[in-house]
Amino acid sequence: MTVPATSDPADTRTAEPDGWLGWLTTTDHKRIGLLTLATSVVLLFLMGILALIMRGQLAQPGEDLIDAHTYNQVFTIHGSGMIYLVMTPFAIGLGVYLVPLQVGAPALATPRTTLLGYWLYVLGALSMLCGFAIPSGAARSGWFSYPPLADSDYSPGAGPDLWVIGVAMSAIGILLMAWAVLWTVLRKRAIGMTMLRLPVFSWSMVVTCLMVLGAFPSLLAALVLLALGRGDPAIFDSNVWNIGYQHLFWFYGHPVVYVMFFPYLAAVAEVLAVFCGRRFFGYKATVLSLLVFAALSMSVWGHHMFTTGQASNDYYSLTSILLTVPAGAEYFGMLGTLVGGRIVFRTPMLFALAFIPQFLIGGLTGIMTGTPVIDYHVTDSYFIVAHFHYTLFAGSAFGLFAAVYYWFPKVTGVMLDERLGKIHFWLLVVGANLTFLPMFGLGYKGMPRRVNTYSSVDGFGLLNLLASCGAAVLAAGMIVFAVNILRSLLRRRRGGLAPMPDNPWNAHTLEWATSSPPPPENFTPDRPLPPITSNAPLLDLPMAQKEAEGANPGKTAQPGEPAGPAERSGL
Amino acid sequence: MNQRHIFGTVFWLESAIAGGVFVVIAIILLVSLVRRRARVGLVASQRQDNRKLEISYAVVLAAFAAFLVSYTAWQNHRETGANASTAPAGHASSSAQGSGAPSKPVTVNVTAFQWCWQFGYPQAPGSLKVSDNCQGGKVPTLVVPTGREIRIHLTSKDVIHSMWVPALRYKMDAFPDHVNSFTIKIDKAGRWVGRCAEFCGERHSKMHFWLKAVPPDEYKHWVQQHAAHAGGAQA
Repeated sequence: MTVPATSDPADTRTAEPDGWLGWLTTTDHKRIGLLTLATSVVLLFLMGILALIMRGQLAQPGEDLIDAHTYNQVFTIHGSGMIYLVMTPFAIGLGVYLVPLQVGAPALATPRTTLLGYWLYVLGALSMLCGFAIPSGAARSGWFSYPPLADSDYSPGAGPDLWVIGVAMSAIGILLMAWAVLWTVLRKRAIGMTMLRLPVFSWSMVVTCLMVLGAFPSLLAALVLLALGRGDPAIFDSNVWNIGYQHLFWFYGHPVVYVMFFPYLAAVAEVLAVFCGRRFFGYKATVLSLLVFAALSMSVWGHHMFTTGQASNDYYSLTSILLTVPAGAEYFGMLGTLVGGRIVFRTPMLFALAFIPQFLIGGLTGIMTGTPVIDYHVTDSYFIVAHFHYTLFAGSAFGLFAAVYYWFPKVTGVMLDERLGKIHFWLLVVGANLTFLPMFGLGYKGMPRRVNTYSSVDGFGLLNLLASCGAAVLAAGMIVFAVNILRSLLRRRRGGLAPMPDNPWNAHTLEWATSSPPPPENFTPDRPLPPITSNAPLLDLPMAQKEAEGANPGKTAQPGEPAGPAERSGL
Repeated sequence: MNQRHIFGTVFWLESAIAGGVFVVIAIILLVSLVRRRARVGLVASQRQDNRKLEISYAVVLAAFAAFLVSYTAWQNHRETGANASTAPAGHASSSAQGSGAPSKPVTVNVTAFQWCWQFGYPQAPGSLKVSDNCQGGKVPTLVVPTGREIRIHLTSKDVIHSMWVPALRYKMDAFPDHVNSFTIKIDKAGRWVGRCAEFCGERHSKMHFWLKAVPPDEYKHWVQQHAAHAGGAQA
C-alpha cells in the first residue's frame, strides 16, 4: 500500500514507516481494523481445527483418539477462542475499519488507544494458546470456568493462569477498541450525518459498543475473583463466591452473545438492502429494536442459571422471552426488504439469505431454553450446544462471511471469485445443518455436553456420526474459503487484473463513495464526501452524478497533492 | 413423573409454535426469492417503512410473549408447587394420586463428588448410605418406591455437579456448601440412567448412576435388607 506524502505536518497518520513496522505501529483505523480482522480469521481456522479434533473423538462410541485430559483442553480453548478471540474481535474489527468510513470521518477517535487494544488482544490470544506448550496443558474448565473447578485445587498448573490472564487482556483490548468506535460515531460524524442517517451497520456498532462498555467490566470482575481463588482456593469453600462468580460471569456472558450477533445481523441487513436494490425496510424500527434489545440483554443473565436453584425463574424468563419483540422487529425489517426487493444472487447475498432461516432456528430454540421447565432438561446437554451453534455459527458466522464477501473488494480493491464463493456457501450450508441439527436430538436423548466419550449402549452413535460427517463438510468449505482469499490476494499482487469499479455492488453507504481501497484520509478532494441526505446517501445521488462516479476509475490522491482535512460539506 | 409431564406439555407447545413461525417465515422468504428475482421490468420498491403495520406487529408479538411467559411460569409453579407439598396430609399434588392416602415423602440425601454419587436414606435404620466409584461400570443405584413423593436434598463435596435423569426431563445442580431440594414422584417401576450434566473434570463423562423405582413393598424390603448390612455400605 502506498502512502501519499502530505504537506500537513500535524497529520501523523500519513507519516508512518514503510513495511511491516508501519503496520505494527499504525494509527490508521483501516490498518488496525485489518490487523484485527486478519488475526481473528487466522484464529477462526485454528479453533476450527480444534472442533474437528473433537468431532473426530466423538464420531463413534468409546473412541480413544485423545484422552480426557486433552479433550478438556481442546473444548475449553475452542469455546474460549471462538468467543473471546474470534467472533467478538472480528465484530469490533469490522467496526474499527468501517465505522469512520460510514460516518464520513477521516480517522478513528482514539487511534493509539485502539492500537493498544489490538495488541492486548493479540497478547491475550498468545497467552491463552501458550497453555498447549506447557506440560500440564492449557486451561480445561470450559469457556465459563466455574469455580471451584477452575480454582488451583481442582485445576492446578499454569494453563488456567494463562487463560485468566489471556481472557483479561483480550477483554481489556476489546473494551478499548469499542470505546474508540463508539466515540467515533458520537463525535466524529461528517456534517449532515445525523444519528438517524447512520447506516444500519454503524447503528449496530453503537449498540454493540454500549453493551461492551456495560458488560465487559463484569467479566473483568469475575476474572479477578477467579484469580484470587487461584491464589487462595479456600474462598470457594463458600457458596456465595461460587454463585457470585456465575452472576458476574453471565452479566457479561449474555450481552456478549449479542455483541457477537448485532454487527453480523447488521452486515446481513446492509447486504440485503444492496442486493435488493432498495433502502432497508423499517430502518427506524430496526434502530429502535436494536436499542431495546441491548437494554433487555443486560437483564436476562439469570436464564443461564435456572438449574442452579439460586436464580429467580419468573423474572429471567420474562426478560428473556420479551426479547422476541425486538428480535421479531428485526426479522420484519429483513423480510420486508426482500418482499419489495429486486434480488440479485451474488455470494454475499447468499450468505445473508441463509442467515435468515438458520439464525431463526437458533432464536426459536432460544425461546425454549428461556423457559425454565424446558431448560431443566435441555441445559448443559447437546441441545444447548446445537442451539448456540445455530445462533453463532449458522447465524453470526454466516453474517461474517456475507461481510467478508461484501467488503473484501472495498478493502483490497479486488473481488473474490464468485464460483469458489458459491461452492464455499453450499458446503457451509450443508455442513452447518448436518453438524448441528443432529445435536438437538442428542441433547433431547440425554447426551451431556463436554463429555469426551460415550458408551455404545447410550444410542448416541448415529447422530454423532452424522454430526462428524457434517464437520468434515464444513472443513472442506473452509478450505475453499481460504483458497478463494489467497487466490484473490495473490492475483492482486501479481497485477494484471481488470480494474474494478470502486462501487462494484452499487452499494448505498459512504464507504463506497471513496476509492477501493480507500486512501489513508478516507475522503480526499479528489473523492469528496457526497451530500448526506439519508441513511443511503449514494442512493440519493442524481443519476448523472452516479454515472460520473461509475466512470471514475478510482485513483487515490496523487502524491504531492495536499491532503488536508476531508471536504466536509456536500458539494 | 410430574416434571416429565410438564416438560412434555410445554415442549411440544413451544415446538409447535416454533415450527409454525419457521414455516411462515420460510414461505415468505421462498416466495419473495422466486417472485422478486431480478429481471427486466421488475423495479424495487422504495418504500421506507410501514408504521401502522410495524406497530400492530409489535403489539401482537408483545401479547404473544406475555402469554408465553405467564403460561410457562404457571407450569413452572405447578412443578415447584408440587415440590413444596411436603406436608404429609392434604394438598393434593397435580399428578395422579396413589390409591391410599398420601404418605410422608421419602427423603434421600444425594451427595455428588469427583466422580460419583452417594445416596443417603436418613429415614432408614442406621442412616443407610449407598455409593460406588463409577469405575469399570460400577455405578451406584438410587432405589426409590413408586407412587410416593421423594424429597431429594442435593449437595456436593467438591466442585459443582448436576444431577440429571433424562427420562425425568429434569436436572438440578449440586453445589458445595449449598443444598438444593426438589421432589420427584415416579408412577411406574423401572430403571433409568442418570448422569452428571455440569462439567466437573477428568471423569465427568463416566459419572453415571441408576435411578430404580420399585413397588413400595419391595422398597421396604430393600431398605431392611440393606440397613442390616449398614456396616458394609461404604461411604
